Amino acid sequence: MKQIANFIVNGKACELAIEPHMLLVEVLRDELGLTGTKQSCGIGHCGACTVLIDGIPTLSCLTPALTARGKNITTIEGLAEGTRLHPIQKAFIDYGAIQCGYCTPGMILSAKALLDRNPNPSREQVKQALSGNLCRCTGYVKIVDAVLAAAESMGKEASE
Amino acid sequence: MSQKLSVVGKRIIQPDAAAKATGAAMYASDLKMPGMLIGKVLRSPYPHAKIKRIGKSKAEKLPGVEAVITPEDVTQWKPFDRGLKDLPMIAGGYLVPPDEHILNERARHFGDAIAAVAAINEHIAEEALELIEVEYEELPFVIDPEEAMKPGAPQVSDVAEGNIGKHLSYPFPEGDVEKGFKEADCIVEGTFSTTKQEHCTAETAAAVAHLDVNGRINIWSQCQVAHMARREIAHIFNMPVSKVKLMTPLVGGGFGQRGSVCAEPICIALALKTGKPVKLEYTREENFTALESRTGFKYNLKIGFKQDGTLTAMQVYMLGRLGGYMGCGPMASVIGMVFGLGHYRCPNRAGEADMVMTNTPVSGAFRGFGNPAMMWGIEQLVDEAAEKLGMNPLKIRLKNIKKAGEIANMGLRLESTYLDECIKRGAEAIGWKEKWGKKKEGKMRRGVGIATMTHCSGAAPLYLDHSNAFIKLNEDGSADLTVHPAPLGQHIWGALSQIAAEELGILAEDIHIVTGDTDITLFEYGSDASRSTYAIGSATLIAAHQAKEQILERAAKMLGVSPDELEIKERQVYVKANPKKSIPVADVCYDAIYNFKGECLNISGKCSWEGRWNSSPTGAFFAEVEINTETGRVKVIKFVTAIDCGKAINPMTVEGQLEGGMQQGIGYGLTEDYIINKDTGVVESDNYDTYKMPGILDMPETEVVIIDKPDPKGPFGAKGVGEPGMVGVAPAIANAIYDAIGVRIKDLPITPEKVLKALGEKSQ
Repeated sequence: MKQIANFIVNGKACELAIEPHMLLVEVLRDELGLTGTKQSCGIGHCGACTVLIDGIPTLSCLTPALTARGKNITTIEGLAEGTRLHPIQKAFIDYGAIQCGYCTPGMILSAKALLDRNPNPSREQVKQALSGNLCRCTGYVKIVDAVLAAAESMGKEASE
Repeated sequence: MSQKLSVVGKRIIQPDAAAKATGAAMYASDLKMPGMLIGKVLRSPYPHAKIKRIGKSKAEKLPGVEAVITPEDVTQWKPFDRGLKDLPMIAGGYLVPPDEHILNERARHFGDAIAAVAAINEHIAEEALELIEVEYEELPFVIDPEEAMKPGAPQVSDVAEGNIGKHLSYPFPEGDVEKGFKEADCIVEGTFSTTKQEHCTAETAAAVAHLDVNGRINIWSQCQVAHMARREIAHIFNMPVSKVKLMTPLVGGGFGQRGSVCAEPICIALALKTGKPVKLEYTREENFTALESRTGFKYNLKIGFKQDGTLTAMQVYMLGRLGGYMGCGPMASVIGMVFGLGHYRCPNRAGEADMVMTNTPVSGAFRGFGNPAMMWGIEQLVDEAAEKLGMNPLKIRLKNIKKAGEIANMGLRLESTYLDECIKRGAEAIGWKEKWGKKKEGKMRRGVGIATMTHCSGAAPLYLDHSNAFIKLNEDGSADLTVHPAPLGQHIWGALSQIAAEELGILAEDIHIVTGDTDITLFEYGSDASRSTYAIGSATLIAAHQAKEQILERAAKMLGVSPDELEIKERQVYVKANPKKSIPVADVCYDAIYNFKGECLNISGKCSWEGRWNSSPTGAFFAEVEINTETGRVKVIKFVTAIDCGKAINPMTVEGQLEGGMQQGIGYGLTEDYIINKDTGVVESDNYDTYKMPGILDMPETEVVIIDKPDPKGPFGAKGVGEPGMVGVAPAIANAIYDAIGVRIKDLPITPEKVLKALGEKSQ
C-alpha cells in the first residue's frame, strides 16, 4: 500500500505517495521527472545512480525510497544555481571529461561529496573517491583532471 | 597543407556537454510519452530449447497488462538479421539469411527472446513475465565452435549446415604463401585465442515506439546506422520506408554494439499490438546476454621473416564463435584479416576463416572489429621473431611498416602514414631505451612492450560508404548543418561544426546541428568504422564549400570585386588586397534571403559523398607493466599511445578517444572475460559483479602523443580515430609481460592464473 513520504529534493520540499518497494532512483526518475539520475547496472556496482543524501554519496538504485524520508536529496539537477553551473560541472565540460555523458551525473556528485569534505584533494584521493563510479568512454583521465581543476577554481572562489 | 586554420585544431567545448553535465540531456531511456507502456521480455533460461507450449492467459489477466505476445503473435512480420545484413550493405554480394524472428519458438541461446509484455508500469510488466507459463523441451546444445563443427553436433540454425555460418577468405590475398615460407629464414607460429568482450555501454539498450496520427511507426532508436535501421524496420514490419520515422536521441555509448538493431523490433511489435507508445529498456543482464558482444576467436597464425627481419609470408586460419544468430559476427574475421595481414609490407599473404554457430549469445562488432583480435597474435609473433633474429622490437617494426603510396590494408592507396614517428615518439615517452631488455630480478618485475596497428577511416571499399550533408546559411550568418551521425559521446557534432565553420570562415558556435530524424536528414550510412569525422566530415566540407562560393559570389557583387579577390575570416568577408574593404557574412546572408531586388537565395550546400579512398590511421602502443611473480598479478604502470590520425580536428576529443580505448584495451587484455558455463550453457558473467571492466583505480598513468600531420584526403587532413585506441593495447601488455618475466600468454584475458601457470612451466 502506498505511503505518504516527505523529502527535500534539491532544496524543495515535496510530498509523495509511494509504494514501499519503490527505490529512490524510481521515485526521482519516474515520479519527479528528474531523469538526470541514471540507472545503469541496477546492482550498485557502477555508481551511475549516485545522489547525495544529506551530502553523502548514495546509490539510489539500492536505496528504498522510504528510507530517505525527511532527508535532503541532491541530484544532478540541483547543482547549478539557475544558469550558473557548479564549478565541477564547468570543469567537466571544459576538460572534455564528458563523452556519452551517462555516467557523468554520478561522477559529478561523487566528486562534489569529495570536494565538500576535502577541498584540496590529491590525484590519488580523487581516484579513491570516484572508485565506485564506472565509465566506459573516457578512461577516467580527463575526469580526474576536471575534478582537480574544479578544486582549484573552488579554492580560488572561496578565497576571493 | 600549409593552410592556416582558425577553428580546426582547437580544443572546443562540445555542443551537448552542458546538457550532459546538468542532467538535462535526454536519452532513449529518459523519454516519456502520455499513456506510455513499459515493455519487458521473457528470455530463455536454456541455451537450446523448443517452446512446446506458452500459456499467457494468467499474465493477460493481470490488471495493468495491455499485451502479452508470443512467437505465434509475430508471424505476420518478417524474420531478419540483427546485423542488418539480410539487405545489401557489403560489397561482393555478401548477405546473411534472415534467420531470427522478433520472438523465437526455438531458443538458440541463453537469453534468447521468447515472449514480451507491455504494461502500465515496470513492476506490473515484471510480474506479468512471471505469470507466463512456458513448457520448454530442452535440446542438446553446443558451446564450443570446434565441437560445433564435428559431425553429429546439435544443429543451431537451419541456414548453417554443419553449423558453419560463413566460410570467409581474406579479400586481398597476395603472392604465394608456400613460396614465401620457403624463402623465410625464420618462421614463427602460434595459436592465439581472444574473448567475447562485452561493450558495457553505460546506457543499456532502449527504444521507444509509437504510431503517429498517420499510422507511421515512430521509433526512438540508439542504432549507430540510423537510415539502414529504418530500412530494416520497414522491411520487418512490411511497410514502405516512408512509413517509418526513426529518431536518434543521445546515446549512452555504442562502441559497435548499437550497429545492429537491439530493442527496436520487440518494442515496435508491442506498440503495434497495443496501439500505444511503448518503452523497452533492457536490464544490464539483458545487455550482456541478448545483444551482440565482441566476436571471440581461436586462430593459427604463421609468419615468415628473412634474416634481416623482412617479412616474407603471413598466413592465418581463424575459427570464430558466432552464437545463436549470425549478425555482424562473420565480418569480424574478414576485418581482422584485412587489418592484420595488411598492416605490414608482406608479399605473400593468405587467410581463411570459419565462423561457427553455437548456442551462445550473439557475436558482433566492437571497437576495432577484428583488428584487436588479429593484432593480439601478430604483434606477439613479431616480437618472437625479433628475439630469434637478434633484433630490437622497434627496429623490426620500422623495417616492415608501409610507406605512403603503397597499397594499404583495405586495398586502396595508403594516403599518409607517420607510424615511424609514432614508434619513435612513443618509445621516448615510455622510456624504452632505459627500460627494455634489462635483466629482471626479485618478486616484483617490470617490463615494457610495444604493439602497432593500422586501421581505417571508413567502410570503403568493403561496405557501402555513403554520407550526406546539407548546410544552409541563416539571415544572421549562422548556419544549420543537417547530418545524421550517431551521437555516442564521440563528440561528432563538435567536430563537424569545426569543419563547417572553418570552411565558411565563421565560428564553431555559429553552426547548429540538425540531426536525429530520418524524416529530415538525408541518407547516412552511420557512425561505425571510425568514419564519422572522415566521411560525414568530407560531405560537410564539400557542402560548406558550395555555400561559401555562394557567399563569395554575392559579396563580390556587393563589394564590386570578383569572388576570387575575397576571403572569409571570423564572420567577415574581406578583400584580400585591401582588408579595410569588407562586409559581414551576416549581411550577405540577410541580403540573400530578404532580397527585394528579384535575387532571393537561401545560401546552402549539399553533398552526397561516397568513399572512393580510405585514409589509414596508424598508431604505436607502449605498455609498462609490473608483475607480482608470487601471485601472477599484472599491473599496468604506464601506457602510451602515439597516434597518427592526420590533423586532429579537436585534440581534446582525440585524447579522449585514445584514453577510453586504453581502458577498453586494458580490460580486454587483463580482466574482461565473458564466462559461459560449459555444462549448462548459462552466461555466468552478466553484470559488473561477475564481469570486471577496469575502474578508475585500475588505470595506469597515461600519455597520448598526437603526431598531428594532415592527410591529403581527409577533411582538413583528418583521419579516423574512434576505434584505433584499443587495437594494440592487449598485445603491448603481453609483450611487456614477456620483457618482464619471459613468458608468453596467447590466450586472452591474461589472468593471474595463466601467468603463474606459465611461470611454473618456464621454471621446469
